[in-house]
Amino acid sequence: MNKVSLFIPCTVDILLPEIGVHTLRLLRSLGVTPVYHEAQTCCGQPSLNAGHLELARKTARHMIAIFENDEAIVSPSGSCVHMIKHHYVELFEGDRTWRARAEALSPRIFELSQYIVDVLGIRDVGASFNGKVTYHESCHVLRGLGVSDQPKALLAGVTGAEFVLLANADRCCGFGGEFAIQYPDISEDLVKDKVKHFLASGADVLILCEPGCLLNINGYLSRNHPGKRAMHLAGFLSENIKGHTR
Amino acid sequence: MRVTTHRFKAVVKKEIADLSSRTFLSFLPPLFAALRQAAMASFPDPAGAHAYAADIRAEVVAHLPELLEEFERNATGHGAKVIWARDAQEANEFILNLAKEKNITLVTKGKSMVSEEIGINEVLLGNGIETYETDLGEFITQQLDRPPFHIVGPAVNISLQEICDLFMEKAGMTEPTMDPVKLGYAARLFLRDKFHRVEMGITGVNMAVAETGSLINVENEGNIRLSKSSPRIQVALMSIEKVVPTMKDALHLVRVLCRHCTGQAISAYVSIDTGPKRPGEIDGPEELYIVIVDNGRSTFYRDLRAREVLRCIRCGACMNNCPVYTTIGGYPYGWAYSGPMGQALNPLLLGLEQTQDLYRACTLCGSCKTVCPAGVDHPGLFLYYRTKDVEGDRAFGGMTRHWKETTAFRLFTYGTTHPWFWNLASKIIRPFYNNGARDGMVSELPGPFEAWFRSRNLPAMPKRTFHEEWKRIGKIPAEGPTHGSAPE
Repeated sequence: MNKVSLFIPCTVDILLPEIGVHTLRLLRSLGVTPVYHEAQTCCGQPSLNAGHLELARKTARHMIAIFENDEAIVSPSGSCVHMIKHHYVELFEGDRTWRARAEALSPRIFELSQYIVDVLGIRDVGASFNGKVTYHESCHVLRGLGVSDQPKALLAGVTGAEFVLLANADRCCGFGGEFAIQYPDISEDLVKDKVKHFLASGADVLILCEPGCLLNINGYLSRNHPGKRAMHLAGFLSENIKGHTR
Repeated sequence: MRVTTHRFKAVVKKEIADLSSRTFLSFLPPLFAALRQAAMASFPDPAGAHAYAADIRAEVVAHLPELLEEFERNATGHGAKVIWARDAQEANEFILNLAKEKNITLVTKGKSMVSEEIGINEVLLGNGIETYETDLGEFITQQLDRPPFHIVGPAVNISLQEICDLFMEKAGMTEPTMDPVKLGYAARLFLRDKFHRVEMGITGVNMAVAETGSLINVENEGNIRLSKSSPRIQVALMSIEKVVPTMKDALHLVRVLCRHCTGQAISAYVSIDTGPKRPGEIDGPEELYIVIVDNGRSTFYRDLRAREVLRCIRCGACMNNCPVYTTIGGYPYGWAYSGPMGQALNPLLLGLEQTQDLYRACTLCGSCKTVCPAGVDHPGLFLYYRTKDVEGDRAFGGMTRHWKETTAFRLFTYGTTHPWFWNLASKIIRPFYNNGARDGMVSELPGPFEAWFRSRNLPAMPKRTFHEEWKRIGKIPAEGPTHGSAPE
């Protein structure tokens, strides 16, 4: 059995816990029984992005200590994985001990779709969906982790789902954490553009692997285009596995 | 050039509502981005070509002092005069004094970003010396007194009507026309006359080759070549990072630069000049002055992370791919360098205080870093500047943050390192946050999050956090795989 550990980002913990539940159900349906360390909180990305490095280091030390004994850590958020995988190492540039601990952790943390496709070697999770889907290439999933083929492979494995192209799929949706609040004019324009392309794609649902983008895109859709929605890949797959109930 | 970066947010509002800016932005940057991709594919090994370019620029940054001295030796050896300018004032004074000493009344200029950085046009014009930008786009922006909208197309957002009116008023055009070819011809006639009479040409430098002392210019209009070869006196302005080690390196960078700028395999004109006119040669300037401008760069060169910005070759690929630039255009950045290039460079040249919005107005999407052929890590630099600002590092002009922000982040960090507090806090916040939620959605909240809710909702906090869900469903053992193939 894999000694797999779940890392559930703070946005999911507090605002979107169903994504965490779906991640858990999905992994279990694939024969993986993840553990969940209840002392986990947040990866500290907001502090790093705001330039409060000393505070980001405190959070990072807490998280490293929690996860460093796991063989593999899986998370339904590309940006949080990017934070732990790449930024933790940089945060401890001048600290040999903690840098070594961050470096040891780095190769063992995976974004969910990356784990399922690259580690488990599974492309068909047994889901079926009668409709059109498209995929938003979240910045930190695509450019942070280089993950793009994996989620699309999982979508291709969904029986009945027709994949349609999303124009400018790799362009930022305008979330950017505190950016969305500090520069709402720019942020709104970007999410509007993303939604415009989603509607034009003809897809029934927009799939993504990043809770931040999900909050942004669904936040805009629910206000301006009720009835259309984006879904996290974990939720989409888990909800559409035959005989799977919540 | 006036710096208006402090008005960033106000100009953003204006530009987002400006139709002609938006029309241009929806068209040209994506076109350039697509052309770049196609052009890079013409290399037998595109990734290798990209990596080689980045390696050259890394070497330049690592050995900048030695390379500059080597360049000075070789350029001087070929008869050029090399002048070191510590700052904008020294560079401007040298050029102005030279012009006065030589009784210059007319100067033509080739496009040069560093000339806009130091503001040489204003100095010369202020001293009664006729000074003309001769790149068509730069000519238009100079006459309109506006900053460049885009590094490759500085006036590309200006409407035909506005250009027609401008040329009628300032470029001797006698009949109004909306035909771009006729407008171009009018500018050509007007500028050709200046080239006939020009006494001093001021040009920028794309690459200064240390090994040979040569200057390389890349352009599509031929105006730089005219500014280099027509006048008796040529002044080549370069910032310190323009130097490259060898001609082989320089030629590779030219290939990469053209592909990233405009998607061309090579620009219409590439001129490589070594020293002034030699006896027996029929053209070229009699005197060549190479002004190497520091303007604060050697100060931040001591900082190993900040110096990486000096890799930049000013191709503009970053802005064509930037979600923020392609939404707001070049004006909000408020200076010569816009887009991620300017966001990375301007804070170091102008200080962190007045450039707050440059290193904060970024979603950290990483597109710029991905396309940058010089290997600049723009988002990494922005995070670095934010840190320097939080620390109040005076060497960078850092200011420290408002106590409210600092306190909020301290509290947040206490939560992230104390799970009992974290879980308690989410319980306490829930009723306040959910107050006013409808159909599972929150549509307004007071305080710092207000801006979010202008056009967006957030989900209401569900009854249980994942922590709480786990207590209910987490401990149930799985019954083995139900779907998919089992992992080994």
